[in-house]
Amino acid sequence: MSHLVAKLSKSVDFIGAFDPKIRTFDIIMKTANGSSYNSYVVRGSEGVAVMDTVKKEFSDEFFLRLESVCKYEEIKYIVLHHLEPDHSGALEELMKRAPKAKLIISGRAVMMLKGIIKSDVAFETANTGKKISLGDKTIEFLSTPFLHWPDTMSSYLHEEKILFSGDVFGSHYYDERLFDDEVGDFSYAFKYYYEHIMRPFKQYVLQALNLYSRFEIKTIAPLHGPILRTNPQYYIDKYEAWSSEDKFRKSTFGKKMFSVFYMSSYDNTHKMAEVIMEGADTVEGIVASMYDLASLDEKNMIDLLEESDAVIVGSPTINGDAVKPAWDLLSCMAYLESQGKIGASFGSYGWTGEAPEMLHDRMRWLKFRLPVQPIKIKLIPTEEELNDCFAFGKEIAEITMGKMVEMEI
Amino acid sequence: MVNLYLKDDNIKVKVSNSKSLREIARKSGASMEFGCRVGDCSTCVAKVVKGNELLSPITQKEIFALEAMGSSDKDLRLMCQCSINADEGEIEISYFF
Ligand SMILES: Cc1cc2nc3c(=O)[nH]c(=O)nc-3n(C[C@H](O)[C@H](O)[C@H](O)COP(=O)(O)O)c2cc1C
Ligand code: FES
Ligand SMILES: [Fe+2]
Ligand SMILES: [Fe+2]
Repeated sequence: MSHLVAKLSKSVDFIGAFDPKIRTFDIIMKTANGSSYNSYVVRGSEGVAVMDTVKKEFSDEFFLRLESVCKYEEIKYIVLHHLEPDHSGALEELMKRAPKAKLIISGRAVMMLKGIIKSDVAFETANTGKKISLGDKTIEFLSTPFLHWPDTMSSYLHEEKILFSGDVFGSHYYDERLFDDEVGDFSYAFKYYYEHIMRPFKQYVLQALNLYSRFEIKTIAPLHGPILRTNPQYYIDKYEAWSSEDKFRKSTFGKKMFSVFYMSSYDNTHKMAEVIMEGADTVEGIVASMYDLASLDEKNMIDLLEESDAVIVGSPTINGDAVKPAWDLLSCMAYLESQGKIGASFGSYGWTGEAPEMLHDRMRWLKFRLPVQPIKIKLIPTEEELNDCFAFGKEIAEITMGKMVEMEI
Repeated sequence: MVNLYLKDDNIKVKVSNSKSLREIARKSGASMEFGCRVGDCSTCVAKVVKGNELLSPITQKEIFALEAMGSSDKDLRLMCQCSINADEGEIEISYFF
């Protein structure tokens, strides 16, 4: 450990832990030089608050730093901005060592707490507007759910204008120099973190930024990577731009994107795709396009899916399943918001034909709106069947443009 | 039959008494979000803009979920916990609020 603690301001110290060896985070993210689990101590005239802990394996480092800035008896509050194990790993031990401390979690965290610590602990919940006092210091809580856990909250230290943002504004980037003006160039890690962790929750990001804008922010203290103290607004603006991007592009053209993704070995599913696209294209306001899944890499899949208002997936049935690239495409939805998108599926088959229905089911779990049943055609589509495909495309396109659906259940 | 309007999907459905909102969502292809489906995760929270009294009464899980969200809006319901509880009338639901 190069320096034991680092000061963010007169009364706030960094007491987190560094993990230079980690290369894969949360299964879904790579990190080229490691990361950090940031934790902070806020000192007031009437006690101390500990803001988050660290991953369990790093407890020793955390307690060493903590002990160098405060005594356990002084700890009045322990705040967990969300319960994920990379920040709650030392909680149980800390509560043992500081039995008088009161645990503060968000309202939504209550139902998860038992899954994280096995013993019964006393806690208090916080939602937007709740404040705690450390005498001459006041911390106010902000409910910022789904960034990236349902229970995520942020908090703001009024006297020193520090925003404790949780995982928001984090980077998996290891650098013990810690402050954005002293570390290496972490901009790629900052963006990568947003894309993998925050991008599925853009609407919630915008809501959170709106809450943050109530405060003058001098320093952002996130839970991973560099502390942002030179120009916090720069990072806030980045998040704002990335979260509003797709709306901007669509409204520029005033059109809805209708994307047909398909794969085909003997051209049958391909023919269906073409005709579905033609049907959709007859609808005013729709821009229909088609893409061969065989030639899309993951990055392109994500970008196309994000822009698409309607996602139509076609796959032949091969060995009782849809083809892997079709599943790969749908897996990319893990990085995106799906609610509000329209979905549908289709495909040619030989004798069982499960693929379109399997894709349809998967899209339901992914929260697509699925206004029409899948369409499957045995081997080579006939003229009449192609007419059905045309009508299928047109119907979905009309619903995408806002046509009302009426039915009886 | 009750007339149910799912505002954000622009879907109008005629539904019979005791149908669950989950079944209605599945059959109409609505984009209503569900997670745990047992009232624990609040993923399925939606606003009943009109006709809340025509849905099944609020459950203990829903009361708890509202508390956790720090909301006192009685028209916020967990869709996985709701079913139709009337033979006629108008209900309107919005997922974005
Ligand atoms: C990036 C990320 C996203 C997650 N998303 C969900 C989710 O949508 N639903 C859920 O029930 N749990 C979600 N979790 C929680 C994990 O399923 C949970 O932490 C689990 O205990 C991890 O199991 P493991 O230790 O086998 O990896 C998520 C966790 C992470 C890190
Ligand atoms: S789906 Fe989890 S509470 Fe309804
Ligand atoms: Fe996290
Ligand atoms: Fe984290």
